[in-house]
Amino acid sequence: MISGDSRFARRARTLLSLLPLLAAPDAAAWGLEQLMQDLARVKTAQATFVERKHLAILTAPLESSGTLTYTAPDRLEKRTLAPRNESLLLERDELTLESGEPKRRRTIRLEDYPVVAVFVESIRSTLAGDLALLRRLYDIALDGDERKWRLVLRPLDPKMQELVSEIRIGGNRDWVASVEFLQPGGDRSVMTVTRDTR
Amino acid sequence: MSAAQRGWVAAWLLLVAASAAVISRTTFTTDISALLPRSPTAEQRLLVEQLREGVVSRLVLIGIEGAAPEALAQASRRMAAELRKHDAFASIDNGDGAGVAADREFLWRNRYLLSSAVTPERFSAAALRERLQENLRLLDSPAGALVRRIVPRDPSGELLHILERFDSQARPATRAGVWFSRDGRRALLLAQTRAPGYDIGAQERALAQVRDAFAQADAAGARLLLTGPGVFAVTTRATVRGDATRLSLIATALIALMLLVVYRSPRLLGLGLLPIASGAMAGVAAVSLGFGAVHGITLGFGVTLIGEGVDYAIYLFTQTAADGAPHRALDRIWPTLRLGVLTSICGFSAMLFSGFAGLAQLGLFSIVGLVVAVAVTRWVLPALMPSRLSAPLVAAAGPWAMAAVRRAPALRYPLLFAVALVAVMLAAQSRPLWSDDLASLSPVPRADQLLDQQMRQDIGAPDVRFLVVIHAPDEEAALRASEAIGEFLRKASAAGLLGGFESPADYFPSRQSQRARREALPPAAQLRANLERAARGLPFRSQVFEPFLKEAAAARGMPLIERGSLQGTRLALRLDTLLVKRADGWVAMLPLRGVKDAPGLARDIPAAAGARSVLLDLRHESDQLYRTYRREALTYSLLGAAAIVLLLFASLRSPRRVFDVLAPIAAAVLVTTGALALWGQPLSIFHLVGLLLVVAIGSNYSLLFERQAPSGADRERTIVSLLLANATTMIGFGLLSFSKVAVLQNIGVTVGIGTVLALLFSAILSRRNETA
Repeated sequence: MISGDSRFARRARTLLSLLPLLAAPDAAAWGLEQLMQDLARVKTAQATFVERKHLAILTAPLESSGTLTYTAPDRLEKRTLAPRNESLLLERDELTLESGEPKRRRTIRLEDYPVVAVFVESIRSTLAGDLALLRRLYDIALDGDERKWRLVLRPLDPKMQELVSEIRIGGNRDWVASVEFLQPGGDRSVMTVTRDTR
Repeated sequence: MSAAQRGWVAAWLLLVAASAAVISRTTFTTDISALLPRSPTAEQRLLVEQLREGVVSRLVLIGIEGAAPEALAQASRRMAAELRKHDAFASIDNGDGAGVAADREFLWRNRYLLSSAVTPERFSAAALRERLQENLRLLDSPAGALVRRIVPRDPSGELLHILERFDSQARPATRAGVWFSRDGRRALLLAQTRAPGYDIGAQERALAQVRDAFAQADAAGARLLLTGPGVFAVTTRATVRGDATRLSLIATALIALMLLVVYRSPRLLGLGLLPIASGAMAGVAAVSLGFGAVHGITLGFGVTLIGEGVDYAIYLFTQTAADGAPHRALDRIWPTLRLGVLTSICGFSAMLFSGFAGLAQLGLFSIVGLVVAVAVTRWVLPALMPSRLSAPLVAAAGPWAMAAVRRAPALRYPLLFAVALVAVMLAAQSRPLWSDDLASLSPVPRADQLLDQQMRQDIGAPDVRFLVVIHAPDEEAALRASEAIGEFLRKASAAGLLGGFESPADYFPSRQSQRARREALPPAAQLRANLERAARGLPFRSQVFEPFLKEAAAARGMPLIERGSLQGTRLALRLDTLLVKRADGWVAMLPLRGVKDAPGLARDIPAAAGARSVLLDLRHESDQLYRTYRREALTYSLLGAAAIVLLLFASLRSPRRVFDVLAPIAAAVLVTTGALALWGQPLSIFHLVGLLLVVAIGSNYSLLFERQAPSGADRERTIVSLLLANATTMIGFGLLSFSKVAVLQNIGVTVGIGTVLALLFSAILSRRNETA
């Protein structure tokens, strides 16, 4: 019974996802707005990540890994498991950092720290498909196609540009597969996101 | 006018002129120092100093609301820019980051002198390796993007160590780059005036500049909210002035109208007010001469003299109307009146000996005021009065009043029952009768206090309650003691005894510490060797730390921080409030946050060499101060009551007569107290003063009631004059009870109720046989 239902549901969803294609079979209609709508439809997501930071002052990249959990529209948790436990929870406009042994916890409000907001909003607003908010903070460029797209965000505020010059977010369809921060002076960090298959 | 009369009038004119001359050069104060005992403890002196001129007294909290957030933010920026041009303000902060750069620059430049973590061990290879590993962790964390640029210049993390000390301080929310309330509806600014809080004139000018700046900021539709000690002081002065002026004008008009109706002589209007006006002037002049300054509260009581001063004139007028010879009119009741004045003086004189300047001023003011008022009535008014006065109303009201008085004693038992009931009720009451909260003295309306609290919370303004105060002979000793106690507080803070603290040594360490830190930096070659060993095997690129090696080497030859080094930073201002030069040495103050165990801290604060330190609880101290003040006032009032009893025994020479005079007053005081308590108001010192006035005024009533009248007509006149006198008192004080200012309202209610009861009870308890 249950499996029958879920099979039916899956088939229905597949059919429904074809609807936009049926309505607009012209591939040229795919664009920023369409991408954002697709992303906005994702209600929850679970993933693992690997992040590499390439810093000019270091001879080797710093690597960390852990899990990402997203719940639409504004909850994002980044839990680092290696090389040490650390967690970063973004919920509405509060960011809670937890790290260290013994545990230290700190909550800040994003609007009090625009410097932090410029980093975290790029990811969260993209996941939420919040085009209005993205446009308020960044200059946006999109290339590629639906199956392999790349968003390039450049902070509008000159003060933020000193901190991060470009944010590159890559993905396919409604999935964000990588996030790359480029900083002036050549430092950059690359986060690769893999869908949880569980 | 006889020669003797001319002499009296001349003497009176001289007195008025002299009083006016003294008053014109009198300074009026409104600060809390009036509550200070004559020989205050060191803590009490500090408390008053803090409230008068401390940093807390200089804060003005500014809110802008009622428009879109963007408009509010813009208004905030414009206001800040405008106000920063003015000399009246030591600082204007709205969160826009102005001044942050200069502060950071100072901290960065002097990081090796300022960081308490700088010790010789800090730069050993082992310790440096630990720091480098920590840096890697930090670079890998979300904060990495922020620290990546300072790591090569400050791998030992001195700046972060310094900033961590400041970071834990509460911070307001920010919107559009400036401070906002949590709900985002109000933009916030924090101003600090250069003038101390007690300088109301300067505060008023500063506030006017804030209002001007707001008007210029042109935020359509937005409202300006101001709060803070200076704002309170200014509005209170305005309200007290406004209320006192308005109410006394109305009272004067009403009393004048009544006198006009009763005596039908416009001339009497002015004359009726002469005794009280002369008395008040002489009282203020006497206080000014005796104390050097007159407190606003003392002045406020000037209004209350109306109550008794006008009575004298009424007694005179009523007696004159009867036989038309003003200069002899008072002769008949003079012995009684004199005793009444003496009784009042007894009541107030006890206060003269109080250790508190505020009470002593009040005592002197009342005594001088009453003596002058009665003397003017006795010797000056008759010379200025028309010789014929008709008072048909007095004659008409006489029989009616007598009928009422004759029937009054029937109420004796109900009265006894009522008094007993009130006594039981007061005894059974579980709530304390007296308020021990200094806030009950505050003339600031409740709504304003709430707004202040809310804005304070939003802005995270220092609500300084606990303060470690250090006295030392010189600046260096004060700073060394601050460091020693800071070390203790750091440990206590880690143990959870307090949330945090601020210290002048945070910005300006003692020279001893600065030198020690400078010497802790190893020579360049050795530091390089240590660093190379520390970085072995870590992924830092070689040459990365060259800036650090260069700056550390330079820091070894750096000049020490002097007070002037902070010039141009906002830290200079903080330092000015935390480290102060006094006539007898230096005082350092360490404000504490989130204190959990004050007694524990107070007990364990270490003795710093060459300095005296104490944990001050401002709230506790001020409550304590008020409590002793109120207790002393009560004690002296009771002493005054005892003096009254002695006086009555000495002059009446009959226990029975003394009882007859005292019983109505005692009953009136008791029932009034009961009524106020029933009302649910904890009694303040102002109620107590009101009760004293009830005794003073009521004793005149009961003495006149008790007096053996030579004739029925005389008795009738006396009773009617008492009714008139009570009516004026009711008008004067009844109006006061509508005041928004707690002081005036408390006294108004107490005296209004109390004197009516005193008159009623005098009639009820009178044992004169009225039918005779």
